[in-house]
Amino acid sequence: MIYTILYGFTIGAILYFISVGLSLTFGTMRVINFAHTLTYTLGVYFLITTLAWFKGYFIVAALVSIMAVIPISYVIERFVIRRLYGESLDYTFIATFAITLIGVDLIKWIWGVSPYPLSEPVATQLTLGSFTFPIYRIIIFGIAILLFLGLELLFSRTVMGKIIIAALEDEEGVRCLGVKVSKYFALVFILGSLLAAMGGVLYAPISSVQPYMGLSVLLLAFAVVIVGGMGNLRGTFFSAFGLGMVMAITARYWSQGAEAMVFIVMAIVLIFKPIDA
Amino acid sequence: MALPSRPWFGENLFGLAVVAAGFLAIAYPLSAHRVTDFMIFCIFALSFDLLYGYMGRLSFGHLLYLGTGAYAAGLFIRYIDRDPFLACLVGILAAALLGLLLGLIIVRTTGACFALINLAFNSIGFFLVLSPLRGVTNGEDGISVRAAKAWFFNPANKIHMYFLVLACLLAVLYLLKKMTTSPGGILVRSIKENEERARFLGYNTYLFKWLTFTNAAALAGLAGALHALNYKYVNPNVMDANANVGVVFACLIGGAGKLYGALLGGLVYMIISNFLPIYIQRWEMFLGIILLIIVFRFDKGIWGYVETGWAYLKQRCGNREGLEETTEP
Amino acid sequence: MLEVNNLNAAYGHARVLHDISFGLEAGQTAFIIGRNGAGKTTLLKTITGLLKPVSGSIRYEDQDISGFPPEELALRGIRFVAQEKKVFSQLTVKENIQIAAHAVGEPLDQAVAKVTGLYPKFETFLNAKAGSLSGGQRQILLVGRALVGSPKLLLIDEPTQGLAAIVIQDIGRILKRLKDQVSALIVEQNLSMVKSLADRLFIMKEGKITKEINDRAQMADTRGLEEYV
Repeated sequence: MIYTILYGFTIGAILYFISVGLSLTFGTMRVINFAHTLTYTLGVYFLITTLAWFKGYFIVAALVSIMAVIPISYVIERFVIRRLYGESLDYTFIATFAITLIGVDLIKWIWGVSPYPLSEPVATQLTLGSFTFPIYRIIIFGIAILLFLGLELLFSRTVMGKIIIAALEDEEGVRCLGVKVSKYFALVFILGSLLAAMGGVLYAPISSVQPYMGLSVLLLAFAVVIVGGMGNLRGTFFSAFGLGMVMAITARYWSQGAEAMVFIVMAIVLIFKPIDA
Repeated sequence: MALPSRPWFGENLFGLAVVAAGFLAIAYPLSAHRVTDFMIFCIFALSFDLLYGYMGRLSFGHLLYLGTGAYAAGLFIRYIDRDPFLACLVGILAAALLGLLLGLIIVRTTGACFALINLAFNSIGFFLVLSPLRGVTNGEDGISVRAAKAWFFNPANKIHMYFLVLACLLAVLYLLKKMTTSPGGILVRSIKENEERARFLGYNTYLFKWLTFTNAAALAGLAGALHALNYKYVNPNVMDANANVGVVFACLIGGAGKLYGALLGGLVYMIISNFLPIYIQRWEMFLGIILLIIVFRFDKGIWGYVETGWAYLKQRCGNREGLEETTEP
Repeated sequence: MLEVNNLNAAYGHARVLHDISFGLEAGQTAFIIGRNGAGKTTLLKTITGLLKPVSGSIRYEDQDISGFPPEELALRGIRFVAQEKKVFSQLTVKENIQIAAHAVGEPLDQAVAKVTGLYPKFETFLNAKAGSLSGGQRQILLVGRALVGSPKLLLIDEPTQGLAAIVIQDIGRILKRLKDQVSALIVEQNLSMVKSLADRLFIMKEGKITKEINDRAQMADTRGLEEYV
């Protein structure tokens, strides 16, 4: 059972990394970004290349991969997302899905279709009493906690954070005070994409790497954001871990039902707390 | 919002005749079997457009009803009776029933919520046929569907299938045309424009949305049943949530909300996804780029442009009678 | 300093403003009155850049600003206070002011002093969440926020709407004090407010300015004005 809980925390952490950006992008720009997990996938594939460059130094390779995602997410924001402000759902869906199509195909072109196996960067185990835990999973969880604290600080202490909070509520009001809100939204978008890439990079060694990995995670990320509340960062934190737990516990008893369970939860939430979008 | 003029009986038939002729024409170069495939997708696209173009609700999980129809028909043939027509009926009813039940809750939602809740149910459905119901559906391996002959119709014969599907397509088109120009249909369109106003006028919008949803599900079920008959095989991929993209694309490219637009879009999408990969290796990227261009430049869809062009021609020709320029309201 | 010529604006296909033309001199306080739906809010929103005009020009200090976004106009000295009285409710009063101060680069204490100067009571709840303020206090905060950075033109949409009589008096006092600091274009339904503050009066109906009153005596005729509201 302990292992199930640890597994739940790990999944929850990864879901959290990925969902933060999605939640923010929806809360600020009211755009449902179906291309969000593209940076997740890209981060992983960059990692594969950089690991070869840096001869296995995981941390360096990971950092480089995550940073490499920045220019790409900037381009996506600048040329596509920004034009979708205020557009109806159909168009944002098609446009962002189109980006995914292009991106995934590029990945297939450059890296090929076959899955890449990656090994865990920290293979050691920690022994406590009669239990042995893989340290890597604990590290992932630790990073998630750090991220949560970091974001809390960002939004309560910095002006940028306060502007985002204000803009989440009353974008026009912020603009009428002279603040170039679009600049901050772009930053938020890039931050979200970065975090998604980080999620991918951290999860890659313990999952399978193939070009469509982003799509399967995307739906889960949506579920997390819906359950936690769009634009609600604290909610995203709790729902990510909550749903991670749901997945872990379901997987223990019913191995293929984990994802479906998440969707059942999402459906229930949507029934009782429909979103106005 | 301009009211559509009541179509004269002949105009409907004319349109249907054109469609029939069109599909007959392409059957020669492309093979009847392939065109049957296209037509089934067009029926599905039409059912989707009922929700998207007319009611204004985008669903990311409409494939659930196609899959339900397919499985219902397939299982009926396998375990109960091999009559193809009955199987189609069962497929339609099963999908309609599911749509009826789920619609009760789904139809209350709107926008992203609507889209995603449909997606959720679609994913759940996919999972259900893949795993827990494996005993019945045979999970990933799927079930084979061998329908029997009925009267003069032989489902194993590709030409017979072709004409059955063509007949269904024409029937669906006719039915939808009638439905959308009826008072109820106009109401549904006004719901798309401004639901609150419709409600204030005293209409029970919930009821109409629910009925439309059920109808859309039923028609998708028909497409599913035909799919099962055509392929003689059903597996969970018939409910794959990711494939919803195709039908959304089809309606957008064809022009949402215009019957013939969805038809055209469905055809175009089928041609693209079937033939493009042969000529362009990186066809998904190509498709993505095209989509981006369409979204940012052409939001009326192909049919919208056809209509605009047609109206322009009519005006040019009718100018001699001194048509007055219409001003914006 | 503000000159509007043949301004036309629309929401989608629905035309809301028809050939609006008027001018405002520096230091003047003009009021706009009219029935609901006359287009008063739309006019303010178009001037402030939240809505792009279909045609026509808006000149501010001898420059054509039509189509400029609100963030740019705010930095040039035009501030808009919306009808809905929305403050940044998740942030404290001080943080609300901080955002305004940061945008124009004004030191925070200076900005805060400006706002508390308007309404000394704010001193005591600078650290309270803006969401806990009453309607009247929110309105004052909104006006105070808009004044950070010394703007030259204030566009205010129905400042007294939904407020209690005593609060309206407070607001009237504050607006009166501002008269020599900024020019203002104010939409209002409250005629006594109009009477005491207006230098000029525009009456709007169905998207057009139907009457312009520059004579204070005429403005004092409240009974006559009532038919326009």
